[in-house]
Amino acid sequence: MSRAAVEAALARLRDARRRLREVPASEVHEALARTLDAWSAPGSPLQKELAAALPAPTGFSPAVVREGLARGLAPYTGRALLDLVRDELGGDPDWDGFDVTATVLAGAIPLPAFVAIVAPLALRSPVLVKPAKHDPVTAALLARSLPALLAGCVEVVDFRRDDTEALDALCRAPCVAAMGSDAAVAALAARVGPAQRFAGSGHRFSLALLGPEAMRGEALARAADGLALDVALWDQLGCLSPVSVHAIGDARGVDRVAETLAVALSDIESRLPRGRIEPAIAAAISSARAEAEMRAATGGGVAVLASSGTQWTVVRERDAALRVTPLHRFVRVHPAADVDAALAAIAPRSRSLAGVALDGFGTATAALADRLLALGASRVCAPGTLQTPPLAWPRDGEPVLRRLARRAVE
Amino acid sequence: MSADPERVALDDRVLAWMREPEWKRDDARFDALARDLFAHQFARCTPYRRFCEGRGRTPEGIQSWRDIPAVPTGAFKEVALRSFPAEREVHVFRSSGTATEKRGEAHLDTLALYEASLLPSFRRGVLPDLAPGARTRVRVLAPPPAEVPDSSLSHMFGCVLAAFGDAASGFDVRGGELEIASLLAAIEDAAADGEAVALCGTAFAFVHTIDAIGARGARLALPPGSRAMETGGFKGRSRELPRDALYAAIEHTFGIPPERIVNQYGMCELGSQFYDSVLAEPGAPRRKIAPPWTRVRIVDPETGDDAAAGAVGAIHVYDLANTGSVLAIQTADLGRTIGDGFEVLGREPGAEARGCSIAADAMLAP
Repeated sequence: MSRAAVEAALARLRDARRRLREVPASEVHEALARTLDAWSAPGSPLQKELAAALPAPTGFSPAVVREGLARGLAPYTGRALLDLVRDELGGDPDWDGFDVTATVLAGAIPLPAFVAIVAPLALRSPVLVKPAKHDPVTAALLARSLPALLAGCVEVVDFRRDDTEALDALCRAPCVAAMGSDAAVAALAARVGPAQRFAGSGHRFSLALLGPEAMRGEALARAADGLALDVALWDQLGCLSPVSVHAIGDARGVDRVAETLAVALSDIESRLPRGRIEPAIAAAISSARAEAEMRAATGGGVAVLASSGTQWTVVRERDAALRVTPLHRFVRVHPAADVDAALAAIAPRSRSLAGVALDGFGTATAALADRLLALGASRVCAPGTLQTPPLAWPRDGEPVLRRLARRAVE
Repeated sequence: MSADPERVALDDRVLAWMREPEWKRDDARFDALARDLFAHQFARCTPYRRFCEGRGRTPEGIQSWRDIPAVPTGAFKEVALRSFPAEREVHVFRSSGTATEKRGEAHLDTLALYEASLLPSFRRGVLPDLAPGARTRVRVLAPPPAEVPDSSLSHMFGCVLAAFGDAASGFDVRGGELEIASLLAAIEDAAADGEAVALCGTAFAFVHTIDAIGARGARLALPPGSRAMETGGFKGRSRELPRDALYAAIEHTFGIPPERIVNQYGMCELGSQFYDSVLAEPGAPRRKIAPPWTRVRIVDPETGDDAAAGAVGAIHVYDLANTGSVLAIQTADLGRTIGDGFEVLGREPGAEARGCSIAADAMLAP
């Protein structure tokens, strides 16, 4: 049943591709630009409709969804799309999309669906979407908002991940893009043939680095408020959600960072409450807290600052080494003697590094940003802005459009 | 055995309970022993005392055993939790894991309580029909303790064979390899003798065995009265099978029906184990039964209170066999109560280095 639905959708999309190829690329771009403007405008009715629909399936609180959409979609303007097309394709008519792009979405955050659908369309490649289990809403609503020119160019087909027949049918699309865990992406890649394009986006994480100038007074309060926002938006479940903070300074300064961040997370909970969580997640938070409490009991500077429920947690760690966190607003604050020590601690996991929020390094900021980008980060920005990347953000270090395009003259 | 007179007295009280022929749940007795043991451990295990003090809990301040702070199993990877002087240590059990992974460590100054606890539990859970003093055929799909001295499971199987196994019982994993020929020969001998077999091992070892027998095109029918005991997860050591599929495969390969397959719940941080009730109480709902010297709480992780009856929560175990470490353990497992027992439903997420929800989404699929 699902396989047949996927095959039928693919056939319809191939027909749509034939129609779309007759339309000048600039007309498609203009149509998409108008769609994005409708979504990104303050007070957008489309945003409101999506914001009303998302809390139930995703578990995010309505306030987090509203704030996350407003902030996340603001940079996704029509102008941004036209700039992206210009910057990546440069008016070169030989860049072309595939006959169909199949995209497998994952997670509960709606914003990746926008890029995953708009990017192939900008290449005049119709899109088959398998929505994420926890967000069955966004792709369908975005598809419905497309203008007549792009009618029938997006098909949303859902099926269970263990429906291998449907998955195999989807993976016969000439271009397959997929998000998911590293294992899930690898499993999908294995289903795609060598003559097809596969663009996988696996596990990513983000963090923050605070320098001496952001570790006291008003500067620290501002940085902590910004980081609390980065954590609270999408309940720390995004690739751009910081999971840890490396504070470069003395022990007292690191204590202050942890304490100020705890206050900021407590404050933001009243404005942007965390959503509902499964018992398994609550248990993982409880275990991680208790494990940190036990390390605190052996001395050495570990401290646990937390809400009475599981809403937020800050663990002041004793060293720079990264540790697993259960997410859902659980942040570790690590001391680092200097920038080199912090980068050395991050390096073993730099392959999965997405964003870094940076503050307090004064004139050394630009040089440090360059080092972080060289280490593997794809986004370096100020606290409070991690969750609002531009449309052109190269999530995996690859160009947004060209990773889904081919040269027609190849 | 510990030279600490207070500890010796505690061990004696717990051992006396374990050696009673009948299992009798006695809440007052458990509470008194648990509180005395908590006071002992609070006084002698400095990290645990500080942990408890951080939560505002002291032996004088608690109302019942339920108030004793539980240590997460993850802490056994970080801290040596001994309630005895380190120089008295005689054994260390370690949790399973990869070479690069930190493993939990249970430090012991005596194996007496571990062994005294495991035998009546195994007997009741797996061999409830074995006559006193009788022996039976036990084949073990796990390596012998001499090969993995830090495995509490192999140690347990060694004790089980010594206590209940007949002359043809033994281990079928040696040098890290499944010895399929010897297992098949043992099963054929059992069939020829009409001797029921208790086939015991890890879930992944069962999968390997089933695959190996399947590759030979064989299918065995163990003698009537045979049973299987499986434990643990797969941990990437074999293809993974949901429990129902594993039991169906065991039935297909060995002719042992699901109602004669017992799951054991245990871990190196616990001195006691918990077995499915299917053989001890045939016909009753499948559930894990706690030995009288243990208590299991299903805890609402948001509040720390008992979860509502039947609701999913974190499994906390209070085990009087843990005299040398800490008696209250917050496991990384989820469960729910079923009548007078409980059911294990899975593990907390978080064993992998995660940074975004897509990993969780994949985990929760389909």
